[in-house]
Amino acid sequence: MAKSAAEWSAPPKFPQTHYVDSRVYTDEVIFEEEKERLFKPSWIIACHESEMAAPYDYRLFNHPAGVPLIVIRGDDNKVRAFYNICPHRGNTILYDPAGNAKRLTCIFHQWSFDSRGNCVDISRAEQGYQERFCKEDAAMREVKCEVAYGGFVWVNLTDDCAPLRQFIGGAMDILEPYMQQPMEVFHYHKARVRTNFKLWHDTNSEFYHDFLHYFNRITGMMQPGYFDRKYTGFPHGHATVGSMQIQYDKYDGSKERAVGWPGLARGGWYMVDVFPGMTYNLRTSVLRIDTAIPLGPNEVIIEFRGLGLKADTEEERRQRIFDHNMIWGPFGRNLHEDLLGVHGQGRAMRSGTDSRWVLQGREEGSTIHDEIGMRHYYAEWSKLMGRPAYDPYQEGKPDPVRVVA
Amino acid sequence: MKTEQRQAIEELVYRSCLALDAKDYKAFLELCDPEFRYTISTYSPEIRREMVWLDHDRKGMEALFTNLPRHNSDHSPLSRHATVYTVEEKAAGAEVVSALQVFKTQLDGGATELFAVGRFHDTVKLDGASVKLKKRLVRLETRLLGYGYHIPF
Repeated sequence: MAKSAAEWSAPPKFPQTHYVDSRVYTDEVIFEEEKERLFKPSWIIACHESEMAAPYDYRLFNHPAGVPLIVIRGDDNKVRAFYNICPHRGNTILYDPAGNAKRLTCIFHQWSFDSRGNCVDISRAEQGYQERFCKEDAAMREVKCEVAYGGFVWVNLTDDCAPLRQFIGGAMDILEPYMQQPMEVFHYHKARVRTNFKLWHDTNSEFYHDFLHYFNRITGMMQPGYFDRKYTGFPHGHATVGSMQIQYDKYDGSKERAVGWPGLARGGWYMVDVFPGMTYNLRTSVLRIDTAIPLGPNEVIIEFRGLGLKADTEEERRQRIFDHNMIWGPFGRNLHEDLLGVHGQGRAMRSGTDSRWVLQGREEGSTIHDEIGMRHYYAEWSKLMGRPAYDPYQEGKPDPVRVVA
Repeated sequence: MKTEQRQAIEELVYRSCLALDAKDYKAFLELCDPEFRYTISTYSPEIRREMVWLDHDRKGMEALFTNLPRHNSDHSPLSRHATVYTVEEKAAGAEVVSALQVFKTQLDGGATELFAVGRFHDTVKLDGASVKLKKRLVRLETRLLGYGYHIPF
């Protein structure tokens, strides 16, 4: 029987850990807190070292907390990250998303900085500032930066943050054996979707939605080993998904992936979901990395990268790109379906729709259709936000008339 | 090149757009040579690399078109607008460059938005009065395609 308004608003018949109040996906107040409490203190992937191979190569990155960053390889080959904000009049210093710059010069008044963040020139400094202000007072704001876990450049905006290794803990143990060879980014694109960033991470944290994907049903769900794949939760909200042997040749026009990945079993597929919005996805011959950059409670840019091995032959690289494009990329069979899925959630949950709850109640011994990956995420989310995801305003009971912005 | 042949080439380009707009894959493939190759590529200023986003021979295109109805896709129709800029006769056939604009129309309400811009770089096989697409490179300028699309441009 269909539900009345009261029944629709009543909490689900699950433990409170097994559902989420959908306001965590729509409220501006919660979103602003997420930038402060989740993104600022977390280590975030800004780019990959192959995007900045030579000294003075740089890459711009819009940090999910809202800060524009420059990531640059210094004259000493060390990778550093700085605010892309001139300390003079707050202007943008670099405009192009990538390039090579021995001097970082603000076009506004020609203040200039080196690759270590030192100010090296202030136009007409003595005439204007006399002895009151000098280059040493005008350095760029540096943020914490480490290159790790497959050559990715991680940044952290907090001065006293814990080291990256401590933040990740054991979550990357499952993938580290396969990331010992230098890798190279061959694919990059962004998708801008009107949905909440957590809904994208949720999609990467549960496989029950394989029903959405014809490709995954044919090559995975209908094959032996699929229902044995397991989720494992790690401290700080990270989670991993164990492997199986994907039968690529079961899909018309596809065949077994010949290139593979060093050390990875034939057809293997591991995933690591990194809190609060990144995913490593090593699927047989390609590593895909997702980085969510929220623009608002109901809008997100997702950066997608595809990587192969730096040592690839031309033919190996061509095959990896083919494999990548078959299911991923803007025309890929699976990515379009996943993005349609979260677009639909954003459409149904936007403010004022009276979407009420998101269920995460499946329990199947932590295997592939269990929703423990999401539950694990929201336990960490609730802890850091100081708000239970099932009752973010701690009203104790659902409000009879929801006040919407 | 004779005017009739140039007209036939231009019509081939336009018919290819009409066929894909109508999701008439059979009609599209009838415009293509058995050695047909279809590629979508673009340049990423972010990673400073050329990228290939789709690359299929004729058999691969046939498999793609067979599989697409099995997938969940955005049902918003696309309108492909091509303008043939240049046609150059070469030993292998005609090299044709066309401007491409792709518009997407929402099913609910019918709002139309510009979805993508780029160019077709086509190689057309000439055999008397017959013209067939031997190679199509869709060179995209647009790289932000929202939640993407399953059907090639």
